[in-house]
Amino acid sequence: MLASFTAEVLKLGKRPATWVLALVWLTVVLVFGYLFFYLISSVPTESLPEGQQAQQEALGEQLRRGLLPENLLENLFVNGIFGTGGSIALILGALTAGSEYGWGTLKTGLTQRPGRLAFLSGKVFALMVFLLLFVLLGLAAGAAGSYAVALLEDAAARWPPLEEFARALGMGLLILTTWASLGFALATLFRGTALAIGLGLAWSLAVESTLTLLPVESAVYETFRGLLLGENTASLASYFGSAPQGFGVPEPLVEPERAAVALAVYAVVFVVAAAFLFRRRDLG
Amino acid sequence: MSNAPVLETRGLTKRYGSVTAVDGLDLTVRRGEVYGFLGPNGAGKSTTLKMLLGLIRPTAGSARVLGREPGSPDGLKAVGALVESPAFYPYLSGRDNLRVMARYAGTPRSRVDEVLRTVELSGRAKDRFKRYSLGMKQRLGVAAALLKDPELLILDEPTNGLDPKGMSDMRRLLKRLGRGERTVLLSSHLLGEVEQICDRVGVIRRGRLIAEGTVAGLRERPGLLVRAEPLREAAELARRMAGVEEVEVADGLLRLATDPGRAAEVNRKLVSAGLDVSELRPAERSLEEVFLELTGEETV
Repeated sequence: MLASFTAEVLKLGKRPATWVLALVWLTVVLVFGYLFFYLISSVPTESLPEGQQAQQEALGEQLRRGLLPENLLENLFVNGIFGTGGSIALILGALTAGSEYGWGTLKTGLTQRPGRLAFLSGKVFALMVFLLLFVLLGLAAGAAGSYAVALLEDAAARWPPLEEFARALGMGLLILTTWASLGFALATLFRGTALAIGLGLAWSLAVESTLTLLPVESAVYETFRGLLLGENTASLASYFGSAPQGFGVPEPLVEPERAAVALAVYAVVFVVAAAFLFRRRDLG
Repeated sequence: MSNAPVLETRGLTKRYGSVTAVDGLDLTVRRGEVYGFLGPNGAGKSTTLKMLLGLIRPTAGSARVLGREPGSPDGLKAVGALVESPAFYPYLSGRDNLRVMARYAGTPRSRVDEVLRTVELSGRAKDRFKRYSLGMKQRLGVAAALLKDPELLILDEPTNGLDPKGMSDMRRLLKRLGRGERTVLLSSHLLGEVEQICDRVGVIRRGRLIAEGTVAGLRERPGLLVRAEPLREAAELARRMAGVEEVEVADGLLRLATDPGRAAEVNRKLVSAGLDVSELRPAERSLEEVFLELTGEETV
């Protein structure tokens, strides 16, 4: 397994797509986590009617305060940045498993003798190493963004405690791993990347979002919603705080601890399903 | 050279729905030989090789490769393979591709440069695989197959798509690789290639092994070729000879279906009858003739 792991690390490390996705991830963190909100919060209020000026300025102040280092983890997790990171992880997972089919490289690799399960395990663990790197990059980019806001606002840079950083690292890795595992399983199922990425993104960005926002008040429906991957991602992220009111974001349905367990179970199920398929099927 | 089989299949069968790609194949490849696996396109050669490498599972029958189950890591330890077209990671260089394969194989990194030298690709090792010509890709495929210094080398159409120079280079390489104790199973539909390289040949058609033997043995057909004048009288006389089962006239020659050991007797009878005999030799067919005869109308 170690041999397969080191082979996969070499492949992922030298693959341009890995670093393009890393760049996209950094852009998401900095632009949608900081720049966008900072610009919105700094819009001049002179043109607004007098009654709304104070309200807008208070909102802007609240937004800017949310971007400061002390709120780093809340901003990254609660405002959905790591949720978006899940979509990027899904693409990376799909590419890791699915490209081998397109290039026909499975036969070249497997005839070198790693064994199918070791080959697949090596992929999964190498993928997790790169996802950990993505989490660290995300946290570092977020820290840089929040520090820049502190400098611009002339505010003190007070950082969350180290144990919270450690928790964020674990939670971020869990979120990205689960979504990457979905991409990995879909790519294994469909023997390629295109359909896996298309369906995975359609599910995460369109179907789950729509289901979450549907104004249905029913215990059965809420139970169903509580099983969704996106819902559990948001619920886990809510450990760091709750979403700002008034933006139409529904309250999380699941306790963060239960959401963590659910995500871990999903990740295991996706990987086991991929392993089951990969071990049994013809690869010619 | 030991005669022990390194590869054996018994009743090996692969069906895809109603299509039978390989049908009850019994194949034995012995240690140290270069075995040509010959058949028209779609005859089941690649499917057979993929079953031998554990890439696809047989529907029925069994196979042992170096005494182990096909595809088992222990068995593959001493097997090198190039199946169909060479497939590598396009964004990696030739050397990095081999480094990846060496890690999968558990072989030391130093082997990478050794096999690059063997296939004469050291000078282009830093280039990305996607920039390689077809000939270079094939050579990289052979290099990957050689990483483990394998006892058994399985090569599927290694000269496919190569220009004449590339084919000649590849044949030279394969001859070199087939020397000594190494066993080579070479699948091909190129008869010249097989004729020049292989010790023994198996011919597969519609998934079934329809002939097996040495190249010389397959080409040989009991008979004599005779050039005599006048030809018509020689043919009539030959038909009356005891032990001659059939006489054909073609290209100014008589082909007599008889034991080639009777050449002196045939010669004596023709000369005694006042005929001029200018040529008399055992009949031999080209491998292409044998192949076309065995595989019927199918294209090579």
